[in-house]
Amino acid sequence: MHKLGRGHRDKLQQFITITGASEKIALQALKASDWHLEGAFDFFYNQPQLKTFTDSRHLEELYNRYKDAYVDMILADGITVLCNDIQVDPQDIVMLVLSWHMKAGTMCEFSKKEFIEGLQSLGIDSLDKFREKIPYMRSELKDEQKFREIYNFAFGWAKEKGQKSLALDTAIGMWQLLFAEKQWPLVDHWCQFLQARHNKAISRDTWSQLLEFAKTVGSNLSDYDAEGAWPYLIDEFVEYLNENGIIQNGLINDSSLKW
Amino acid sequence: MERKIIDFDQGWDYMQKGITKLKRILEGAPETPFSSEEYMMLYTTIYNMCTQKPPNDFSQQLYDKYKDAFDEYINTTVLPSLREKHDEFMLRELVQRWLNHKVMVRWLSRFFHYLDRYFISRRSLAGLGAVGLTCFRDSVYMEVRVNARKAVIALIDKEREGEQIDRSLLKNVLDIFVEIGMGEMDQYEQDFEVHMLEDTADYYKSKAANWIEIDSCPDYMLKAEDCLRRERDRVSHYLHSSTEQKLVEKVQQEVLVIHANQLLEKENSGCHALLRDDKVEDLSRMYRLYHKIPKGLDPVANVFKQHITAEGAALVQQAEEASSNQTTSGSGFQEQVLVRKFLELHDKYMAYVNDCFMNHTLFHKALKEAFEIFCNKTVGGSSSAELLSTFCDNILKKGGSEKLSDEAIEDTLEKVVKLLAYISDKDLFAEFYRKKLARRLLFDRSANDDHEKCILTKLKQQCGGQFTSKMEGMVVDLTLARDNQLKFEEYLRDNSHVNPGIDLTVTVLTTGFWPSYKSFDLNLPSEMIRCLEVFKGFYETRTKHRKLTWIYSLGTCHVTGKFDTKNIELIVPTYPAAALLLFNNADRLSYSEILTQLNLGHEDVVRLLHSLSCAKYKILIKEPNNKVISQNDIFEFNHKFTDKMRRIKIPLPPADERKKVIEDVDKDRRYAIDAAIVRIMKSRKILGHQQLVLECVEQLGRMFKPDIKAIKKRIEDLITRDYLERDKDNPNTFRYLA
Repeated sequence: MHKLGRGHRDKLQQFITITGASEKIALQALKASDWHLEGAFDFFYNQPQLKTFTDSRHLEELYNRYKDAYVDMILADGITVLCNDIQVDPQDIVMLVLSWHMKAGTMCEFSKKEFIEGLQSLGIDSLDKFREKIPYMRSELKDEQKFREIYNFAFGWAKEKGQKSLALDTAIGMWQLLFAEKQWPLVDHWCQFLQARHNKAISRDTWSQLLEFAKTVGSNLSDYDAEGAWPYLIDEFVEYLNENGIIQNGLINDSSLKW
Repeated sequence: MERKIIDFDQGWDYMQKGITKLKRILEGAPETPFSSEEYMMLYTTIYNMCTQKPPNDFSQQLYDKYKDAFDEYINTTVLPSLREKHDEFMLRELVQRWLNHKVMVRWLSRFFHYLDRYFISRRSLAGLGAVGLTCFRDSVYMEVRVNARKAVIALIDKEREGEQIDRSLLKNVLDIFVEIGMGEMDQYEQDFEVHMLEDTADYYKSKAANWIEIDSCPDYMLKAEDCLRRERDRVSHYLHSSTEQKLVEKVQQEVLVIHANQLLEKENSGCHALLRDDKVEDLSRMYRLYHKIPKGLDPVANVFKQHITAEGAALVQQAEEASSNQTTSGSGFQEQVLVRKFLELHDKYMAYVNDCFMNHTLFHKALKEAFEIFCNKTVGGSSSAELLSTFCDNILKKGGSEKLSDEAIEDTLEKVVKLLAYISDKDLFAEFYRKKLARRLLFDRSANDDHEKCILTKLKQQCGGQFTSKMEGMVVDLTLARDNQLKFEEYLRDNSHVNPGIDLTVTVLTTGFWPSYKSFDLNLPSEMIRCLEVFKGFYETRTKHRKLTWIYSLGTCHVTGKFDTKNIELIVPTYPAAALLLFNNADRLSYSEILTQLNLGHEDVVRLLHSLSCAKYKILIKEPNNKVISQNDIFEFNHKFTDKMRRIKIPLPPADERKKVIEDVDKDRRYAIDAAIVRIMKSRKILGHQQLVLECVEQLGRMFKPDIKAIKKRIEDLITRDYLERDKDNPNTFRYLA
């Protein structure tokens, strides 16, 4: 057992808490980045996951536990049981991350292929391993690149089959779920604006560009370029903010805003 | 015998006598002119002294003496005489001295001519003439040039103040400045011109500062024009011609440029007031004064534009007020007056552009921009595109409100087409025009085929073939339809076994040329079904590959109404006719029964029932007896109906088609924007957002001015439909998807 200084031990503990990684892996990442936490995170997330051997018989058993009685798929009821087993609320955002790993085509459904290959990629073949993996999946939302991938995946996952756009109510629910992770100060105004002024489905382009907008345009909107390539709806939103005095002289004027 | 050697002193003494004689002549002393013998002896003496063998060759000494002769004369005689005189008298003396000097140079050059031939050319020295002039320049000119310049400028200013001066004197003095340069203009320009120009600037600066305060704009311009004319006159009389441009520019700068704003903006006489009061002559003068000045016309053009804009806006305002006072049955009369006034306004100010402003592009542009502002306003809810098309309709249709000769009609149509150039929404005009053209053609309300073709030709010239292709197609369709009808009648005669039962006239239209019409599946009365079948049979003998679609809403029927007192011929649209025929089999029908039996929509049924029961002629009796059609109403044939006429026309209430046209145009614009975006991206493959929007506006600008927001919406829609995608690395850039 290594003798670690207090600083190093604190960092190790912090890394394990955030990523859910094992102590061995955490130690490896921190050493590779010379004990800088941010570097360690980069190292950890960019490492191809070691293909942990998974017992395919156990995976079959897991699948059969949750699959629908009549359809060779896991449907809403099966997912409810799964959430119960791994002690996760079905509304928890970590279920979105899980769906992303499984490359699920649509919400509340996992095909057999999606389920088994997804769990294999996560190195999960038992409920114990599944529970252990939850913190790791939750921590992936901290990584900017993965958040973007998950965010854009969410659009296709949440929309109705055969539709090109995402229903407004669903979109609003997804945004509230996702931006709880990102702390975009205008998310509530955005949702109110959509219900007041738009009241229609959301296009994929608007969906993906909103994330860029949230990231690149300051919350005071002083650097917003209405002549730029932002989607029309975002132009309207900026107008709405200015019209309603929410943004005045480049300052947020909303006492109810929580930081 | 050998020639006797002349020693220098002896020879020069002889020459000295000749020179002294010349001086006395120049000074006006009593002296006999040189005789040819004296001349020959003087020349020969120089010759001999230059051709003797060294050391008796005196060429160099003689060359030096030649110059000394001038210097001595200048110092002893010329300069003293100049120094004792001032101003104009000094100028006169200077001119005289210059003349004398030139005479002296000429004579001495002849005496000393042999030097030029050999000594000077061999030694590459300055020629005798040049030496002579240089002496005067270096000794006299250099001393007097400042005073001479001042004296000349003083006289010029004097002349400017209206005094009489000796112009030839100035001419002669300035010639000295020019000649002293010996082929170069440096002396004239540096020693005189630049100072004179400066003085001119000062003079006019002072004058203009006074005039601008006390004179009206027209009076000031008269003075300015007079100044310019007189300065040009001055050049032609005594200044060198090369000075003219510079002099004019100075005057322009001080009189016209510096005070341009103050002048043009004078409260009651400036550019605006001149336009208001139609002061054509003064405006022409303004143009003449300013058009040669760089950017000189810009403020005039700007005021011109503002003035036209204000007048146009006032017309719009008047029409708006008159329109709101108008009763709803006024049918847009005030708006038609507005178009007429726009045409008159355009004529008036186009005449200004052509006459006062000499067709200058700046004023064409100002006129265009002004008209573009107020010609795109909405009046009484109508866009100018609609107003113009209605105006054309009134001219072109039978019984229109305009009563014009053929020439006047053609002239007016030409002007309307020119006015169309200023309207942003040309596509909207095209759609409204097409709608009204269709009505004129289909209901035989066009007054003159030639005029219809005439305006289409003009529109085509101005807006391009694509703009008018549908309209031309419509006109051609009508011609073909007449021919087709003749063939149908022939077909009926040749096929006596075919009997349509009632008279039928059909107009075959080409889909795509004509506005889109609703094509309801009206339940036709059996009498009508039969004749349609007959026509269809005929049509199939003429073409195998076309499909007939019937548009009953455009039809007209002649129906005999059998009333208690007398039969009356009713001329009704097809829908009301079909409804009337239902009453052959029933005396009373409910609204819903009529709706069901006709198989029309509510909107159409309400309109047709209104025309039969609530309008002027009450062919049907409505229960309850009020003016509004409701779905609970009952209708009964009015046996007691009568009218003094034997034939009456029952029109449908006019439908508001503005909304429909605007919707159609909006839809077409979406297609047009999509097409433009796809066209651009197809050729570019990858393009930034700003550039795409820019090119899109550019491509579509001839027909309408696309809203940037509308373009952004279309871009997003094309992304959704997988024609475009955003570049992965740069979301401001789009890629075309094949």
